[in-house]
Amino acid sequence: MQTVKMGPAPSAAVANHGIPASGIPALPRLERLREAILAAPYGLCTQKAELMTEAMRVEAPQSRLAKHLAPLHFDALRKALEDNLASGAPVERWQLQMSKRLQELWLRLDQRAQTQPLVVSFAKALAHTLARAELQIHADELLVGNPTRHRVGAALHPDYGGMLLMPELDRLDARAVNPMRTTPGQRWRLEHEVFPFWFSRSVMARGPLFAADLELPNKLTEGRRFVLTQFAGISHVTPDFPRVLELGFVGIREQLREARRDARSDEQAAFYEAGEIVASAVIEFGARWSRRCADEARRLEPSDPARAAELRELAQILARVPAHPARSFHEALQSVISTWVAVHQESFQHGVSFGRVDQYLWPYYERDLAAGRIDRARAVELLGCVLAKASEQLPLFNQMATEFFSGLSSASGLTLGGTTNHGATGADASNELTSLWLLAYDRMRLRQPNLHLRLHERSPRALRELAFEIIGRGGGQPALFNEAQIIPALRELGVSDEDARNFSIVGCVEWGVPYSSFPAAGAGFISLPAVLDEVLREPTLRSHVALSSLMATIWSAFCERLAETVCEAVAGNDAIERAHAQCRPTPLLSILVDGCIEAGRDVTQAGARYDSTGIQGVGLADVADSLAAIEELVVEQGRLSLAELMRAVDLDFRGHDQLRSRLVEKVPKYGQDHGRPERWAAEVARAYAEELRRHRNPRGGPYAPGFWSMTTHVGFGARLGALPSGRAAGRPLANGVSPTNGADSRGPTASLLAVTGVGGAHVSNGLALNESLDPQLAGGPTGAALVDALTRGYFAAGGMQVQYNVIDVNELIDAKRYPDRHRGLVVRISGYSAYFNDLTPTMKDELIARASHGRPGAQVSTEGAL
Amino acid sequence: MSGADAAVVFDVQRFSIHDGPGIRTVVFFKGCALACRWCQNPESRRAQPELAYHADRCLPGCRLCVSVCPEGAILDRMNERVRWDACTHCGACVDTCPSDALVMVGEQWTVERLLDAVLADRHFYEASGGGVTLSGGEPVLASDFLSAFLPRAKQAGLHLTLETSGHYPFALLEPLLPELDLILFDVKAGGRERHLDLVGHDNHQVLANLERLLARDSGPELELRMPVVPGLNDGDASLDQLCATLRGLGVERLTLLPYNHLWEAKLARLDTKQTALGISPPAKDYYRALEQRFAARGVTGLAPG
Ligand code: SF4
Ligand code: SF4
Repeated sequence: MQTVKMGPAPSAAVANHGIPASGIPALPRLERLREAILAAPYGLCTQKAELMTEAMRVEAPQSRLAKHLAPLHFDALRKALEDNLASGAPVERWQLQMSKRLQELWLRLDQRAQTQPLVVSFAKALAHTLARAELQIHADELLVGNPTRHRVGAALHPDYGGMLLMPELDRLDARAVNPMRTTPGQRWRLEHEVFPFWFSRSVMARGPLFAADLELPNKLTEGRRFVLTQFAGISHVTPDFPRVLELGFVGIREQLREARRDARSDEQAAFYEAGEIVASAVIEFGARWSRRCADEARRLEPSDPARAAELRELAQILARVPAHPARSFHEALQSVISTWVAVHQESFQHGVSFGRVDQYLWPYYERDLAAGRIDRARAVELLGCVLAKASEQLPLFNQMATEFFSGLSSASGLTLGGTTNHGATGADASNELTSLWLLAYDRMRLRQPNLHLRLHERSPRALRELAFEIIGRGGGQPALFNEAQIIPALRELGVSDEDARNFSIVGCVEWGVPYSSFPAAGAGFISLPAVLDEVLREPTLRSHVALSSLMATIWSAFCERLAETVCEAVAGNDAIERAHAQCRPTPLLSILVDGCIEAGRDVTQAGARYDSTGIQGVGLADVADSLAAIEELVVEQGRLSLAELMRAVDLDFRGHDQLRSRLVEKVPKYGQDHGRPERWAAEVARAYAEELRRHRNPRGGPYAPGFWSMTTHVGFGARLGALPSGRAAGRPLANGVSPTNGADSRGPTASLLAVTGVGGAHVSNGLALNESLDPQLAGGPTGAALVDALTRGYFAAGGMQVQYNVIDVNELIDAKRYPDRHRGLVVRISGYSAYFNDLTPTMKDELIARASHGRPGAQVSTEGAL
Repeated sequence: MSGADAAVVFDVQRFSIHDGPGIRTVVFFKGCALACRWCQNPESRRAQPELAYHADRCLPGCRLCVSVCPEGAILDRMNERVRWDACTHCGACVDTCPSDALVMVGEQWTVERLLDAVLADRHFYEASGGGVTLSGGEPVLASDFLSAFLPRAKQAGLHLTLETSGHYPFALLEPLLPELDLILFDVKAGGRERHLDLVGHDNHQVLANLERLLARDSGPELELRMPVVPGLNDGDASLDQLCATLRGLGVERLTLLPYNHLWEAKLARLDTKQTALGISPPAKDYYRALEQRFAARGVTGLAPG
């Protein structure tokens, strides 16, 4: 292969703190940690579910009447759930009506039986959980904390949507995709103790009470037109870790006490009381861990004095944090992990993110470095331990959710680099820690957390070199974000300039304000092709013969139907958000999101300084390609009528091979930069954004449009017939803002540019562009320079975000056949990475197709492309 | 033939990284006066747009094209679709074919359209130090068109590279020189007779043009390249003669382009007399040895990798 000569990257005028990957010695501890995590089977964790239920029986008891009558309702509901989920059949209207009446009754009875404010009950239940949760110390780790009771596990949250798993409990161990270990005891307790208590008071159960639409539960399980996620729990938020480091929970409790003295209402007083309870619980949680480490140190002293010394140090650290302000780098990291673990005993494992870790941890590292208490290798080792912790937890998904969110991402985002948010122009903010995080990731290469790198025109060259070298080695991390485009998009949402410039990534790709916002960034997904499908089914439209007005007619019908669908999804989400606000306050998260203490209100009740809800449009490329195909074949070429085209589509092109072939092979596709499909994509994106932005959520914040899909494009695709684009029935839709698979046949510059048309200030909740590259092209220093240049060009043209999947298609094919040989093969899915082995078969096929491209993407072009 | 307003271009390939520095767009012009036996782009030889047939894309049972040819050149046989002796390359059958099995290679491009196409990737050129490469066929045969195109492209700040065989009157190349940044100049073989035998013309004109290019002390950078074809142009005699000529011209180095045989798959799709050579690409050490053989003859020959 010829060497590629690349022009100069922008000068590294700024301090050069890049460290070559070779600058850090081998770290066997991290290698062992990685092995241990890869070897761990996945387990279902019901610890929180059981402890919390135990506490809530006391703190928020059921009334006597409910205790007697509810079991009957529970049995009926359980049966309905089983039938409904198994067969996909909708629940009958009368059943829904009946269920709603009964739920109303339980709610009234519960409220009457209430002995204290609900938020206080939940605070005490969390304290109960933290005081009893099992504490396990694993070999080699320098930071402790157990997101679940398993080395790698998924927690069930009965207070949110855990009940959805009930029909599948017996099959969890044996299911083909993502099996989870369970025990008979666990299953029995869930069915007889946990679910019967929560089935009437979980967010999932109560959501429908706040919805005008009786059919909402059916629509949620149908998964054809939209999916809503927030019944599963509170997620997609970045807690205020910097404040924890600065004040400790003792300091935060002090703030709460002060605020409580000035409480202006009973609600506020209850909120502060609950806050104090959970702050004290986290303080005690740290102390318990400290004692646990000290005990373990004593136990190991005779056999392994070196490890005992490490644990003694940890005991000291935990005696200090997270109760008190952190003083050292090690204390700071442990404080973050302890807090992060505690938050997950309350909230769902999805998108609870770390924020700008190289920024708020810098002073601690710098001080230790100056004092000679730490060196780079040790820092990488500690950061590696953070990354290992973040990969210890999985979200719990039932079968349907597994289809829509394949890959088991708990989507914890970790943001690096960028500019500072103070000063006039924003100086480069990266520092040595930025590189050390990347180096630690390079050593660990686990599926989680999500590494995000903010780039700007003056990002130091050495940092870029390191980042692209790591990207070239595969695994899809870090994802890259263009500040110049993202900051204006946040400003559009009403975020102040200073806060917009401080953005970090919440979860997968969602840009948001860290520490002070509740962005609910992953609240829902809407299938745009399903909207088009409905429109094109209308007989009056199909028989529209005036070609000059056909596209305008389709477009206005599409916009109308889109508006209705958005309204429906928004109304459904509103109901779920109201259920959260009314039935499931989250006191711990609330004292960790800036604004809540000041307002004396929970995050679910608009306590945060910024409130928004993100809903994504999925299948942009499929709609654009379909509209472009109709315009080209029906309107321009007059080759056939819309009615004829749609008849073939209805038949899934059976008997219409020639037509389908023409659609697939000859009609330009979004991603080839021909113009027309890209213009449609841009229009659809704008129309969707505009429609969504008309709405405000129950917390008074805007709805924020995003264009990323996780794997909802597979789920939606499976439930949708053929499309005029030539896509066959049941096939996955395009992912994120990426072109459909195979449509990127004109190479990466064409597909990147096509995507820039979709972006802009209206994309306030992020977009995901997955670009697959061959390792031959992207590997090594030459490849790094090439992909760097590709990215700079894309960003200069207006690109917002990209993540590169550097994968060898043959390796994927082999991994599908022989999973055991490829344990630990990490691939990029959407805004997150996953082990290839954890994916559904459809998703595996899709990745193989993605990596194959339509025709060769880049080639030695002394040859034409005949 | 191409005129000043339009030229026949058969591919505009984006994200090319092996034809000059950085990320480039390569424009392939149709038409060439040479007939190299190893021509990588057999579809480029004819100056006018021509029909190609990809049997692998043909839909079984389709037969839509069978009756549309005014010349009766289309056969009802999937593996032998076109009777090339009857085909006039009129293109009438192409629109009928739903699967791109029948395609036209090459179409008329105006200056404006080509400018638009190559400017699309300008952000990537800037970021990588790349630009546009003119290739073919022999782009210089479209000299009139390029005289209009190049100044506009230069004005837009593009780095411009020419890949050329050197076989044409110098007057065609001369007006293009001020706008070009880099010329990748092919030398095919040493010795007049061998040149004639392998590429259909002797090397008189090529060497005269090369000499004039070398004599200039301003203008585009010049890089010499030799497409290596094992067994055809890499013999001792060929190397002796080639190196002597190069040394005589004061040339000290050239790039060796490794051989690949992907072009042979194209032959079956085209109306062409070019035949397969059946040469398999040699291993890496072949090129190392070749480099040494050049070195022994006083010329630095560099093969990539
Ligand atoms: S190009 Fe024209 S002459 Fe040749 S096969 Fe097609 S229709 Fe017939
Ligand atoms: S029209 Fe195309 S696909 Fe159909 S038979 Fe002819 S060559 Fe084959």
